[in-house]
Amino acid sequence: MRMRARSGLLASYALVVLVLVTLNFFLPRALPGRPIETLSDPRSQTYVGDATTRTALQRYYGLDRPLLEQYGRYMADLSAGDLGTSIRRHAPVARVLGERIGWTLLLVGTAVALGTALGMIAGVRSGWRRGRRSDRRLLALLLAFDNLPSYFLASAFAYVFAVRLGWFPLYGARTPFSESYAPARAIADVAHHLALPAAVLALQLVTFQYLVMRASMVGELGSDHLLLGRAKGMSEHVLKYRYAARNALLPAVTVATLHIPLALTAAIFVETVFAYPGIGRLLFESVGDRDYPLMQGCFLVLSLLVVSANLLADLLYRRLDPRTAA
Amino acid sequence: MAALLEVADLRVRFDGDVEALRGVSFSLQRGQTLAIVGESGAGKSTLAHCLAAIAPPQAAGSVRLLGRELLGAGEDELRPLRWEKVAIALQGVPLNPVATVGAQVAEPLRERRRMDRTRSWARAHELAAEVLLDTDLLERYPHELSGGERRRATLAMVLALDPELVVLDEPTAGLDPATRGELTGQIGELAAARGFGLVLVSHDLPAAAQLAAHCIVLYAGAAIEAGATRSILTTPAHPYTAALVGAYPLMSTTKDLHPIRGAPPDPRAIPAGCAFWPRCTQAEAICSEQRPPLAPARERLVACHFGGLKRLLAADGLHKSFRRAGRTVRALDGVSLHVAHGESVGVVGPSGSGKTTLARILAGQLEPDAGELHLDGPPAQARRPARALRARVQLVMQDPWDALSPRMRVAEIVREPLDVAGGWDERRAAAAVAEVLEAVALAPSGPFLDARVHELSGGQLQRVALARALIARPALLVADEPTSMLDASEQARLLVVLRERQIEMGLALVLVSHDLALVRKVTDRIVVLDAGRVVEEGSTPHVSGAPRSDTGRRLARAAPTFDTPAG
Ligand code: SF4
Repeated sequence: MRMRARSGLLASYALVVLVLVTLNFFLPRALPGRPIETLSDPRSQTYVGDATTRTALQRYYGLDRPLLEQYGRYMADLSAGDLGTSIRRHAPVARVLGERIGWTLLLVGTAVALGTALGMIAGVRSGWRRGRRSDRRLLALLLAFDNLPSYFLASAFAYVFAVRLGWFPLYGARTPFSESYAPARAIADVAHHLALPAAVLALQLVTFQYLVMRASMVGELGSDHLLLGRAKGMSEHVLKYRYAARNALLPAVTVATLHIPLALTAAIFVETVFAYPGIGRLLFESVGDRDYPLMQGCFLVLSLLVVSANLLADLLYRRLDPRTAA
Repeated sequence: MAALLEVADLRVRFDGDVEALRGVSFSLQRGQTLAIVGESGAGKSTLAHCLAAIAPPQAAGSVRLLGRELLGAGEDELRPLRWEKVAIALQGVPLNPVATVGAQVAEPLRERRRMDRTRSWARAHELAAEVLLDTDLLERYPHELSGGERRRATLAMVLALDPELVVLDEPTAGLDPATRGELTGQIGELAAARGFGLVLVSHDLPAAAQLAAHCIVLYAGAAIEAGATRSILTTPAHPYTAALVGAYPLMSTTKDLHPIRGAPPDPRAIPAGCAFWPRCTQAEAICSEQRPPLAPARERLVACHFGGLKRLLAADGLHKSFRRAGRTVRALDGVSLHVAHGESVGVVGPSGSGKTTLARILAGQLEPDAGELHLDGPPAQARRPARALRARVQLVMQDPWDALSPRMRVAEIVREPLDVAGGWDERRAAAAVAEVLEAVALAPSGPFLDARVHELSGGQLQRVALARALIARPALLVADEPTSMLDASEQARLLVVLRERQIEMGLALVLVSHDLALVRKVTDRIVVLDAGRVVEEGSTPHVSGAPRSDTGRRLARAAPTFDTPAG
């Protein structure tokens, strides 16, 4: 039963990935202004001057072939890990992405973990004491934070904590030429660089998670099983966590999934402001450079990240809720 | 030693205007059993919560468990009492959906008694076995259990700390009848074996009868009748209890179900005075003005200005003799009969038993030689007391041709009682005639109104006679074989009309008949007459099911059935 449910889940995710990959092929070809064709048009602004790259591009896109053949080729290349060549960087897109993805995973992963944890804890406390002063204060504070746009928050943090106070480095993911550092020191260096962007990003996520957890907690307050726990003489602590929070967690986990696209979008800004060498910044640069293969690669990776995050959350939900596990 | 439970003037008012409980008081000794019955919305669950030390903060008054006040006590004072002294099975048997059943049964043992995992599980298994729950189910999650299993699991959980008081809120609701009976029986056994005090909150009257010696009937957040369960459910005193019992389908009742007229009050707008008055068929002005206290009446407590169902008619020691062919025939030889408001009493007996004489005396058409006849109720209106009194009792005779003048028209016959009473103008009288004719399934307008008695069929005539009896809204209808001229379907139709009138107006009925099969469908109580004496009297199911007198048995044998002779 359980096995079958899970393989069904995996199959549906595989289908989603297939659709994504296919969209990634067709969308740039369907864009208005035919951006890909203009790459090899000397009259256009996006004309690729470098002859080798241009040939590589034309070969990659296979513009001289029928569409179906192009698609077949694309899929074949993709399964071999070939995402084409970056126009500006003169390097395989796959390799460029590979260098960057680790940083994005680190940044977004840290921020999501931090934001979710903080949001949930705050939500549980706030919801449990609904309407009291501590609840109202927390609610007002987080809503205020939530209304700040991410680039503003990022710039403000950078100014205050890096420029004025000098507590954290202003940009980058590690100190230049730090490859020779001992492992412990290297890790500390990475964490030091990570702190500010991850904090900004986490703050972007905290409020949403907090609101959901709080609402879910408030919903639990009136539940019959909580009343039963009370009648059983359970302590406040047990009631709050084992009864209310444990059940309130279920909808909150689903919502945490919705964070991922949010976090990735915000990551584009945060990485740019802090010059953090992740996919977000790469996407930003590639758009500026009109580096289509790279852009496509970034999109593909980002969407695959979203899908896998969803899959993870689904699997987690199944573990948490005995009713879906059956 | 303090009583197990003492509740005094318990009131709960939510959000300012929702009155869930309006002053409930009772007490319960150790090991006693109490049922709290009533329709949904009567405040039963709120009351249950108050008893189980999980009262809503709005609760006021006093609830003392083993001498300790629960209302207003802090969580730290209540926590040690919960589950240890009083345990509750909440309505709908909620369980924590994300924990296994076993973990939840063991939870109080681990958290409250500090038992370790192994010992608490072992104990959970014992408890499950005690309530006949398959112990394999302890590993499961609540959603994997059936309704009956969830209830058993909850019961095991309730017993975990061996409480002195167990509160069960609708423990059998939503179960199929077989499971319900099984579970009820088992709860009774557990209560007897463990000796805990039991409060059963339920609308399941048979379960209440089976499990609880005492009973409180709750209506609109207040107790309206309290006493021994057996007497309350078999001879209800309060009009609401009577209606509630009359609406409950039982194997032991033979009478057709009577729904309660109207709907329970909105807890936001409970009527002033007696909360039941808009639905009560015997309400008077005082009922909407003053709230009746719960006061002793008829070996119990009843909250009614009249001590419960009014006694409508009391006939005591009636004697009547006729001279016939030079001989004196004793038609009635010391017959007494009491009829309560809204009650249906069957008078059965063979021909010549005195039934018809009794009917005519009750209706005031014949003077008894000796004995007293009282019609209770408000004093009859001024000038012509006898006549006004008469209007409150109407007689429908066996043979309508005797009673109705053949030259009169239908409209005249039916409205005559109104003309006698006086004070009806032309329009209102005509409307009343149309309404009552419609009620007895006759044409309310057109040429039928002008038809004369001799033009009507027997069935039509009997219905005209009934319409005439009902039009003045009598309090008591004495009907002597009122369906003798009707075929089975017409008879059924007429009985439905009578039932509707009883529900709507609280009409009391004395049905005189030799047909036990008919009488048992209509009446609450049966009196068996033979040779001018009462030879048997009792509740309809008893008399019709297992008659004790010879006459009763003869009538039962003579009653029609579809059974074909065996062999
Ligand atoms: S007679 Fe009056 S007081 Fe008694 S139940 Fe009816 S309405 Fe209430």
